[in-house]
Amino acid sequence: MSAKPTKTYGLLAEFDTAAAIMHAAIECRDAGFKKWDVYTPFPIHGMDDAMGVKKSLVGWFTFAGGFTGFFTGMGMIWFMNKFDYPLVVGGKPLFTPLYAFPVSYELTILMGSFGTLIGMFLLNRLPKLYNPLFKNERFKRATDDRFFVCIEAADPKFSQARETLEKAGAQVIETVED
Amino acid sequence: MNHAFLILKRWMALLACAGILSFAGSRIEAADEAAKTPAAETAATTAATPAAGDAGHAAANVPGHGHGGEAKHVSFAEQFGYSYLTAYMFCLSLCMGSLFLVIVHHLFDAGWSASIRRVTEQLSSLLFPWMLVLLIPILVLQKQIYPWLSLDPAQDHSLAVKVVLFNPTAFNLFLIALVGSWGAIAHSFRRWSLAQDKDGKVEWTRKSRVLAAAGIFYFAFSLTLGCFYLMKSLQHQFFSTMYGVYYFAGSVWTTLATVYVLIMVLSRPGMPLEKVVFKRQQQDVGVLFFAFTVFYAYIHFSQYFLIWNAAMPEETFWYVRREYGSWKWVGFTILFGHFFIPFLLMLNQDIKRKLFLMFPMAAWAWLMHYVDMTFNVMPVLHPEGLHVSILDPLLWFGMTGFLAVMFWRNFNSAAPYPLRDPRFAEAVTHHEIPAAGGAASHH
Amino acid sequence: MAKSASDPQSHAGHSAPVGAALKVYPAPKELEREPLVLNNRSLGWITDAIAGICEKPMPKWWWPAFIISFGVMVMMFSMIAYEVSTGIGVWGLNQPANWAWDITNFVFWIGIGHAGTLISAVLFLLRQKWRTSINRSAEAMTLFAVACAGIFPVFHVGRVWFALLPGYLIPAPNANGIWPQFRSPLLWDVFAVSTYGTVSLLFWFTGLIPDLATLRDRATSKVRKFFYGLFALGWTGSNRNWSNYEKAYLILAGLSTPLVLSVHSIVSFDFAVSVVPGWHTTIFPPYFVAGAIFSGFGMVLTLLIPMRTLFKLEDVITVRHVELMCKVILATGSIVGYAYGMEFFIAWYGGSPYELYAFKNRAFGPYWWSYWSMITCNVISPHLFWFKWCRSTMWFVWLISIVVNIGMWFERFVIIVTSLHRDYLPGSWGYFTPSWVDILTFVGSFGLFMTLFLLFIRFLPAIAISEVKGVTPQADPHHPLGGAKDHH
Repeated sequence: MSAKPTKTYGLLAEFDTAAAIMHAAIECRDAGFKKWDVYTPFPIHGMDDAMGVKKSLVGWFTFAGGFTGFFTGMGMIWFMNKFDYPLVVGGKPLFTPLYAFPVSYELTILMGSFGTLIGMFLLNRLPKLYNPLFKNERFKRATDDRFFVCIEAADPKFSQARETLEKAGAQVIETVED
Repeated sequence: MNHAFLILKRWMALLACAGILSFAGSRIEAADEAAKTPAAETAATTAATPAAGDAGHAAANVPGHGHGGEAKHVSFAEQFGYSYLTAYMFCLSLCMGSLFLVIVHHLFDAGWSASIRRVTEQLSSLLFPWMLVLLIPILVLQKQIYPWLSLDPAQDHSLAVKVVLFNPTAFNLFLIALVGSWGAIAHSFRRWSLAQDKDGKVEWTRKSRVLAAAGIFYFAFSLTLGCFYLMKSLQHQFFSTMYGVYYFAGSVWTTLATVYVLIMVLSRPGMPLEKVVFKRQQQDVGVLFFAFTVFYAYIHFSQYFLIWNAAMPEETFWYVRREYGSWKWVGFTILFGHFFIPFLLMLNQDIKRKLFLMFPMAAWAWLMHYVDMTFNVMPVLHPEGLHVSILDPLLWFGMTGFLAVMFWRNFNSAAPYPLRDPRFAEAVTHHEIPAAGGAASHH
Repeated sequence: MAKSASDPQSHAGHSAPVGAALKVYPAPKELEREPLVLNNRSLGWITDAIAGICEKPMPKWWWPAFIISFGVMVMMFSMIAYEVSTGIGVWGLNQPANWAWDITNFVFWIGIGHAGTLISAVLFLLRQKWRTSINRSAEAMTLFAVACAGIFPVFHVGRVWFALLPGYLIPAPNANGIWPQFRSPLLWDVFAVSTYGTVSLLFWFTGLIPDLATLRDRATSKVRKFFYGLFALGWTGSNRNWSNYEKAYLILAGLSTPLVLSVHSIVSFDFAVSVVPGWHTTIFPPYFVAGAIFSGFGMVLTLLIPMRTLFKLEDVITVRHVELMCKVILATGSIVGYAYGMEFFIAWYGGSPYELYAFKNRAFGPYWWSYWSMITCNVISPHLFWFKWCRSTMWFVWLISIVVNIGMWFERFVIIVTSLHRDYLPGSWGYFTPSWVDILTFVGSFGLFMTLFLLFIRFLPAIAISEVKGVTPQADPHHPLGGAKDHH
């Protein structure tokens, strides 16, 4: 096993307050970077706008899941109790959406929830157990009390990255190897 | 469970017999009546079908079961009374919904709603004197409106058991006392709030909180009694523990639609609330409006669903009548118009700030609540199906129009928002809502 | 405005500028709101305080508590083994009370769970920031309560394998080709409870992801790093991820809210769609939901009050949090009181002699003691929370929280047993008494609940770290403590 030649993954800059990272995000957005991200221990309100991130698409996955769930429920009950083996119970109709509603409702929520979670994982490319950023010791505080910006080497404007991050007032700037 | 199941089956059979007996009885009586001169008697008074033994209980409770559809001669006084009652119940909804919003504001020590509280304070203050004055025609026409008032309790089991509350004296006294006391509570909140405008003392807030604490209990029980007297007793044999909550849910729903429109109109440039209504208030009222859309649907679905499943004639007759002829379509209108359309339309978060959708939505809510009130009241008078009289819109628009003028007069007679409310600062100097959809604006 | 953090007079006055003409008076000192995290703790302090609990060795009391809980749990499983191997006759239920402690315990435990979902979902949608300190443990409580609840309906069928055979609970045809029939509320219950358990687990896990990443990044041992790392799924705190994450969390909250309403509504359908006097009443769904939240908040307080003291979390779970929970108990207790009142009123108003008898029998029949215990615990005791002293004295709140739990157990017992033990035929009336197996199984379910809860606080962050950080002033880029230099 020979050591592979290291490749630069990106440039990581550390900030110490929520306001500072907000400011840095606006700078990076205005500088026109494409492949970059902000890392914070908690979601900061307004950061999506500061970064220019579009609205999340998770809702569509929920809708697809919920829709499937509801009609699975209705269809299943219709099939079982009216179509495949009709059996009169309690003087009730063989099928009506009324008595099928509770179960269909629960399935709507069940599949809607799975849809939501699957959607979130797909959109976030998770699980992703390997990430070059994990090799950086400082980055461990991204889940504690520090705020980071990472501009990837793959970004067309990567050559301007260090300058932009310095201008944004980064406390520490380090290169991350892949 | 076998044993219990057997007993249930027997009981069901008994009920079925009772239902058949009652059905037969009502046919005979209807035939008798057809022979008589057309008496100014409403359909429900044909209820008292005496039957013997155990079945008698069930039978006496099943008025109009299976005999919708016979158009009766309806006098002008009756039509006026019913149309008036429908409009009155609609307006009472707005006042009581507003009173509820004032009470919960104090109860929850809410911040955001402080800047729009004067609107609900003024709306609920219409309870006195106007809702009390407007009650008079109902009291005058009570014999024409409420069939049970013409019944002999000795002949009617379901009236006999509750004659303590359901006799003419109690009916009149309680109604006046209820509307009067609601007015007194609403006026206390408004008076204390106005006093705070002048001196800014905390004691007014404290007093309001104490009244809100006691008031919420009084509100819950008295509103239930009020809507039992005014609306449910039209078919006094019907019983449902949910009914009070049902009227309450629809009332708050309509009120929130109204409040939404009022605060958005009143905060336009040059209007009195211009500087105190933010996106936050708009969004929150919109979200509550949405929440009550769901809450109402939940309540009404539960009531219907449980009655449908248990299928006991003592209860089902109420819905059976409302599923006869064109009333069925009114029911579907409520299902779709009161729930599905508003629900799907307002599901998206950002919609609650889109006036071009929310204003028609609020107008639609008014219509739907009116349809809901009609669904409760009118099948008693017109069992054959939906019958729209010219008196319906006339009285509805007349009453709401009159109250709107009175509201506007009151609103302009005082400060448009609680100037020195301790939570006012929080309502107007707060971040815009953290829009989870990413719509935060802070540049 | 920059000094507003230290200036209590403008507590809320640090943001959006308002029109110059608008005169805004600051809130008077006596009505000021308390902060949600006391003593101005830093972000790092929050991480250390919460993550530290599951990193350091457990305090001395943990092991005895765990061993006792574990023993009690083992007792429950022995009781169940005895019941399954011998037959359902070892429980006290019989004609006419075919349902008794089993379904009482089921409704009791499932109700307990509702507070967790309410705190995590409903309060989230209502933007009640105070929920952040308590939602994690409340959600965990939900899961464990659902686990306890599931035991009773599964084992009350006696021959438990029947619950798993096709044609009964799972939607598959039996040997004769007959499908389960969906007109039965018992089948709705199966779907409701299993959906509830699953969605609660998903929601809980979603909330845990960022905190698991925190634990992963702090881990010193390989084993911890591996397991926390595995379940953190590679979370980095990327804002592009947070954006989707927050949306998903919001939607899950939005789905859990109607879910939590539906679950106890469907549980109430088990009774209310029948024609048993005392069971069939239209107010049951909202009344059950309110009661569930009432009892759930009772249980949350029972667990959190000792926890905040034992783990020194008084700055995160503050007196204000406890007071707010007391107010929820007060509110839901009042709704429950309204429902009790309406049931009696309609029993009288409706004129059905059976219904009226059922209610008279509840209050003055042979089970009068359970009815009045219920009234005392559920209707009277919450009203002590009108007084500030009662809400802010921890031992007293803890005491009342237990009273509330007892009361809600009695409520279910009253509904089930008093309605069944005297039905339409006086010849078949009876009086239910629990057997020793009934009692030990129920006591044992607390062992299961506590065992799971103790394991939870041992291995997972009991408070949502990233969410608590999110409500501190340090998290607000517009606040001086968040680094804001001046206002725009």
